[in-house]
Amino acid sequence: MGSNIALKEDDIKGVKMAAKISIPVLRIDAREKAGGWTHYIADYEFDNLQHGRFLRSERARAKIIEIRKPDFPEGYYYIDASDIPPGGKNNIQMIKDDWRVFADGDVRYIGETIALILGPEKQIVLDLLNQIEVVYEDLVPSFTFQDALSCKGGAIHGTDNIFAEFLLNIGDVDNAFPGAVRVVEGVYETGFQEHLYMETQGIVATWEDEKITLYASSQCPFYIRKSVAGTLGVPLGDIRVKQAATGGAFGGKEHFPDVIATPLAVAVNKIKKPVAMIFDRIEDISFTCKRHPGRISIKTGLDRDNNIVAMEIDTLVNGGAYESSTPIVLQRAIIHGLGVYRIPNARIHGRAVATNTFPSDAYRGFGAPQGLFAIEMHMSHIADEIGMPVSQFKRKHFIKTGDITITNAKMHDDVKLPGMLAKIEEMSDYSEKVKKYEDDPLRGIGLSFVNHGGGFTGNGEQAVIKGVVKMKRLEDGKAGLYVSVVEMGQGLQTALRKIASKELELDYLDIVYDNPDTDIVPDSGPTCASRSTMVVGFLVQECAKKLKIKWDEGVGAEAEHVYTHPEEFVWEQETLQGDAYPSYGWGVNVVEVELDPFTYEVKTTGVWAVWDVGVTIDETIMQGQSSGGVIQALGYASIEKCELKNGAFMQRTMADYTIPTSLDFPEVHTVFIDNPYKYGPSGAKGAGELVFDAAPPAYAEAVQNAIGKRIYEIPVTPEMIMEALR
Amino acid sequence: MVDSYRPKDLKDALRIRGEYGSTPLAGGTDLMVRYQSWAGTLPLFTNSVMFVGHLHELKYIKKIENSLEVGGTATLSMVADHPDTPRVLRDAVLSIAAPALRNNATLTGNICNASPAGDSVCALYALDALIRLEKNGSSRELPVVEFITGPGRTLLGKDELVTAITIPLKNSSIDNFTKVGTRRANALSKLSFTGIADYKNGRIDSIALTFGAVGPTVVRSVELEKKLLGLSRAELKAGKESILSDYSTVIVPIDDQRSTAVYRKKVALNLLDKFINEVADYE
Ligand SMILES: Cc1cc2nc3c(=O)[nH]c(=O)nc-3n(C[C@H](O)[C@H](O)[C@H](O)COP(=O)(O)OP(=O)(O)OC[C@H]3O[C@@H](n4cnc5c(N)ncnc54)[C@H](O)[C@@H]3O)c2cc1C
Repeated sequence: MGSNIALKEDDIKGVKMAAKISIPVLRIDAREKAGGWTHYIADYEFDNLQHGRFLRSERARAKIIEIRKPDFPEGYYYIDASDIPPGGKNNIQMIKDDWRVFADGDVRYIGETIALILGPEKQIVLDLLNQIEVVYEDLVPSFTFQDALSCKGGAIHGTDNIFAEFLLNIGDVDNAFPGAVRVVEGVYETGFQEHLYMETQGIVATWEDEKITLYASSQCPFYIRKSVAGTLGVPLGDIRVKQAATGGAFGGKEHFPDVIATPLAVAVNKIKKPVAMIFDRIEDISFTCKRHPGRISIKTGLDRDNNIVAMEIDTLVNGGAYESSTPIVLQRAIIHGLGVYRIPNARIHGRAVATNTFPSDAYRGFGAPQGLFAIEMHMSHIADEIGMPVSQFKRKHFIKTGDITITNAKMHDDVKLPGMLAKIEEMSDYSEKVKKYEDDPLRGIGLSFVNHGGGFTGNGEQAVIKGVVKMKRLEDGKAGLYVSVVEMGQGLQTALRKIASKELELDYLDIVYDNPDTDIVPDSGPTCASRSTMVVGFLVQECAKKLKIKWDEGVGAEAEHVYTHPEEFVWEQETLQGDAYPSYGWGVNVVEVELDPFTYEVKTTGVWAVWDVGVTIDETIMQGQSSGGVIQALGYASIEKCELKNGAFMQRTMADYTIPTSLDFPEVHTVFIDNPYKYGPSGAKGAGELVFDAAPPAYAEAVQNAIGKRIYEIPVTPEMIMEALR
Repeated sequence: MVDSYRPKDLKDALRIRGEYGSTPLAGGTDLMVRYQSWAGTLPLFTNSVMFVGHLHELKYIKKIENSLEVGGTATLSMVADHPDTPRVLRDAVLSIAAPALRNNATLTGNICNASPAGDSVCALYALDALIRLEKNGSSRELPVVEFITGPGRTLLGKDELVTAITIPLKNSSIDNFTKVGTRRANALSKLSFTGIADYKNGRIDSIALTFGAVGPTVVRSVELEKKLLGLSRAELKAGKESILSDYSTVIVPIDDQRSTAVYRKKVALNLLDKFINEVADYE
């Protein structure tokens, strides 16, 4: 079992990583960031910098009849679709390319980019923007699942508003249901969530060495390169992207930077001057992607012994006006739809719909939190219905090594859930407290179990990404590390250095790892999907082994390592059958709450977490991930309300969209168990998203137990609790 | 770009205010937010601005006989730190934002902003605070309930400045300030409540009940309070339902991005209910 390991002076100076990789070291970026010295994109200086601001749609769905513009003074530009060079496309190359760089002829969501206004003086840019008048002809907008499925106002996407539809099936659901003696049903809903990274979105696009170069706060420099090259219709190598220090991302800087980068690149291509686009906070909250809202209906049949014999799940996610990564988010939601349970007969139908809301996109967990909230609450509701303790009912259905998963593959992991449950019992006194709070109208405790597949779904790492890393021996006994995954606050700069230095038997401070520049580093894939440590870290480890062998060739010795999918994992993408993930992180959370009977405010009095992330690369970094992930998730579950009014987000400031402070939740008591994974660096598995997944259902269940009413929806606001108690 | 002034003293400030009607800016924590524009451009002031936060003559807080006098530029931190600050006001002020903001923001600013969700205002209504308004050559004093006329609206004359807030200090045995915010710290109010009461010879001798963020201004009904004066503990207890139903007619909140009308009303009445119980049970 892991424990808190105190930072010692020796560790801070840098330790050789040969021995125990989990021993914490000083994070390489800690001093600079804590001291305020780090330069973020808004701090960069450029000669002759132009400032851009978007002309945005004020309508959710409308035809653009006319755009009335004032005269633009010399040096000020109105950039729109007509400025895209011949050979280019008014499309942003994400997974699909349906998202337009500039709205043209019609608008499909509030905030959609119509044009880019830019020039040297911000005030003049703003004045010009304010003088532009867009004449719309309103169409009937569609916002809800109901609207989308009934194609209200006509389809926004295709003929049926369905971005993606999947069906997963194991066993024989139709034949199993009639054998059930009891059926339990529920519909579970989750809301939008704003990332609220500390640093807002920002990119500066420049013209350097006859080349468009973008400095970006981003998770995926190569994504930006791809989208910009696609829009301009130029070879990938004609575009250069340099990652700027990134002050938080959480998925919000995965695809969304493309929406800023492409119009900027169109402008720079035309005017050959640097242009900056740095979002203000209100702009960032109002006009960036959110987590996909979900509505998941579950129907479960039980036999006489309270075993689940069949389960049928219908999953809906709201993708907003453009597809972006929505189908993959939906895949995660359904592949994680059965949670950590072995269900013999199960069917999951998933659909992602188009609406006239701001396009939803990646957010830590990527669909899994929606699916896991639903299944965890449902399991708890079944337990309630049959009068069995939740922990007992869930444990009875735990998936075991070798069991069949929803994608008809064997669970390869060594599943340690029973031991993890025992550990959290010991830490939190869970079962005792359940009994104690049974008749207490104000106190409650909740328990949840989750797993999270590491890396891209299926064979995506092989078929789509094909990650490459490089290393090189440098002067002074140092080694250069060349990867495209980025530091965004999660500690990757430190973790990858530790992994490399362990193999090379160097001090981790002697690994040189700069923010990626697409002209220098190979494409090791994006920084997402809990893959950076597990997948890229493994490539780094293997690459370092190769460099170690060549080390004596002297300065300049190089090594490269390319991803190969382990042969034992098979996957068929067309049917989503096979090993969805090579390994999973596993987690158990307990949350304890107390209700204020006068205000219905919930005070969280205890939070415990036990995680299996294989092996921690750095105990302190992982403690940080656990605290941060759990608290971010508790915000999602409690106070982070994000509502639409006529297609616009109502909560647009940090006063109205509130995320937790240190007073809102207590310390997260975290323990890591050891369970090394053979294709992870030193045995590490994906962890970054796992730590988000478990807290929402644990919180909702705790509140449910306190108030004695079932909860089907997050965030569980005091307003909702009041209504439930009426 | 608008003109801005930095007067050297109060006299100078009153002169400038009289001559140009410039908008006073103290801590700027409301004004700079209200007029914010694109980072790197000037705020969207349309009127000239006069800085007042530095005026030393008004940066004080002191007890004078049976009152606490808060100078027109005293910060929220000064109010929170003074030993004679009534507890409900201290609690209200400490519920505002975070220490760094409280070190800069003024009590005057919170009042003049005239938001129904202004946390100190809820307490000041219950404390019968008086607002001193000065102009070149004269001054007047108004009860805070009269001074504030609507959301963002006050009786501040174009040539006047707030130079002091006077809070009568009474001995109140029972008092409570509760803020229900969007989270536990650095949050704006969904609603707030202040209750102050005292007995004399077993009968209610004074009572004040105010509610924030449940109407266009802080809600206080002196009429309904009068009905409670003179009640014994038993009578108060027996009359609770009718008191609550009286108050349910004056508490008329709205739905907005922070909460719902139903919740605001229900919780306001719950807090009143709780306070009445406290008063009735007071030994
Ligand atoms: C992050 C943040 C959190 C906040 N949290 C809260 C909260 O929890 N609760 C709450 O109630 N408020 C909150 N506020 C609002 C604000 O901080 C308070 O209202 C504060 O007391 C305003 O004081 P100030 O000195 O900064 O006012 P300013 O912004 O300087 O002025 C506010 C108003 O008062 C007028 N004014 C100032 N001085 C004088 C004078 N001497 N004579 C006449 N008029 C004058 C101004 O012209 C203006 O109309 C918050 C603000 C921020 C930015």
